[in-house]
Amino acid sequence: MKVNGVAIDDTFAEAFGMSGTGLVITADTSKWARIAADTMCGFGTSVIGCGAECGIDRELAPDETPDGRPGFRVLLFGFSPESLLPQLRNRVGQCVLTSPGSACFNGLDAPQHLALSAGPRFFGDGWQTSKRLGSRRYWRVPVMDGEFVIEDKCGLTTDGVGGGNLLFIGTDRAGLLETTEAAVAAIAKIPDVITPFPGGIVRSGSKVGSKYKGAVASTNQAFCPTLRGAVNSALSPDTIAVLEIVIDGLTSKAVADAMRAGLATATGIGTAKGLTRISAGNYGGKLGQHHYHLKDLLA
Amino acid sequence: MSGLVFKLRALLTERIDLTDIVPNTLAGLSLHDVQRLSVGTGRSKADIGDLFFVSGSTDERLVIEGGSSAIDGIGSGLGAGTIIVEGDAGSLTACGMRGGRLEIAGNTGSHLASGMRGGIVVVKGSAGGRVGAARAGERFGMAGGTVVIGGDAGDRAGDRMRRGTIVVRGRCGAATGSRMMGGTILAEGGFGDGPGPLLRRGTLIGPSVERLLSTFADCGHHDPVVLRLINRHLASTLGDLGDLAPKPLPLEVRRFAGDLATIGKGELLLTG
Repeated sequence: MKVNGVAIDDTFAEAFGMSGTGLVITADTSKWARIAADTMCGFGTSVIGCGAECGIDRELAPDETPDGRPGFRVLLFGFSPESLLPQLRNRVGQCVLTSPGSACFNGLDAPQHLALSAGPRFFGDGWQTSKRLGSRRYWRVPVMDGEFVIEDKCGLTTDGVGGGNLLFIGTDRAGLLETTEAAVAAIAKIPDVITPFPGGIVRSGSKVGSKYKGAVASTNQAFCPTLRGAVNSALSPDTIAVLEIVIDGLTSKAVADAMRAGLATATGIGTAKGLTRISAGNYGGKLGQHHYHLKDLLA
Repeated sequence: MSGLVFKLRALLTERIDLTDIVPNTLAGLSLHDVQRLSVGTGRSKADIGDLFFVSGSTDERLVIEGGSSAIDGIGSGLGAGTIIVEGDAGSLTACGMRGGRLEIAGNTGSHLASGMRGGIVVVKGSAGGRVGAARAGERFGMAGGTVVIGGDAGDRAGDRMRRGTIVVRGRCGAATGSRMMGGTILAEGGFGDGPGPLLRRGTLIGPSVERLLSTFADCGHHDPVVLRLINRHLASTLGDLGDLAPKPLPLEVRRFAGDLATIGKGELLLTG
């Protein structure tokens, strides 16, 4: 099928169940809240190599944050609650606690919880104090610019989804990047999702396994344009580049909504900037619990 | 007006105790059953029906028309629903309250909100001594919830308090926060003599103090984030209180750590 001149593969994105949590990071200014959030999300692209997939969901106005300061909502995803917890502690402890003027709060209302403060609060070396206000408990940790405030717990969902994806295939590398960036910007407006790769875009789509021992993933040669003549390629002769958007969400619906927004934006731009085809990555449907068929998302 | 209404038949000559006479325990009772509940504390037998005209129906609201300082235990055991007292209340008001809302148009006696664990108490007048304090023999005082007092509070408010928030729009008496182990007390009119004796943890906030204990250490001027959290919490929890609504805290305070005669993890924050 074609939409606005762009071929849409009759295929689906295959995604996996993930555990996820959300945080609200605030600071005296939006600039420093973003610095803390960006630092915490660093090296958080793929759960396989990074331990967690992290990203900024959205910026929060002062009236949306617990302390009335500018902030950002960050989402973290991991294979399980057990694998998520050490990532949470280390990232908050090393990247948020250390950032000037920062504070860290729960960003996901859920019946299950993770012990957000277990770890960072002990930096107080006994000088930390707690303050319970209503049903929420906060820890105040003395630091060199005043106090680092961190909420005791954050919400946990085990209904998260990781690995929703879109593959944009085109004949102009620079133009394809522009189109993909526009799709990422559209996805950023969807709540409860992140695109954890650099700028939301992956240029190194992978397959499971490798010819080398110890490598759990390796380049997906079928989608490498420079190997088009040498391998069983999935690309047409005029393809110059393929870019992928990977999407993690707190719910399956959020991931579907994000893919729908990305598809609508990319097909809206059409072939003008070199996009020729949109596909999606899957493993034959045998590994992931969540399947997102492109034709359904365009309906 | 919906709900159950108690109207005093005459001035009380003896103290009575309305502990557990709350919407969540009255639910399902007939008016006849309600009138037969015993509330006397003296030698003579006293049922609700002997002392009050009872009307309406049992639901989530109880109104006491013509309150009295001789009525103790109003709101004690309240877990849900609303109690409105159109007058004064006696001692141990809201004692052990777990939830719901209690509004008192007049003044209250001592030990308001002692052992309170949840809910909201609004007193338009003043409160006696030991607001949120532990009763004799009890290990802890208030352990949760929010209390707003439009007038003044007596001595030793928050004695052995563990959690929760007390807002006094007027002035607190002497030794506020004595032996306190947690929670927050705001005194918009300032503190009386020597707040925080043996304060272990917890926060006292006010514009002034009559005399500061020598075991409190000046830590200087700061703008802790927790003040913003307290402002947000009060604004979101209390609803529209009109003139009784607490003023937002200033974001910069002078911090005194204490009581250093004990572990010293408490604090007195002066806003003035």
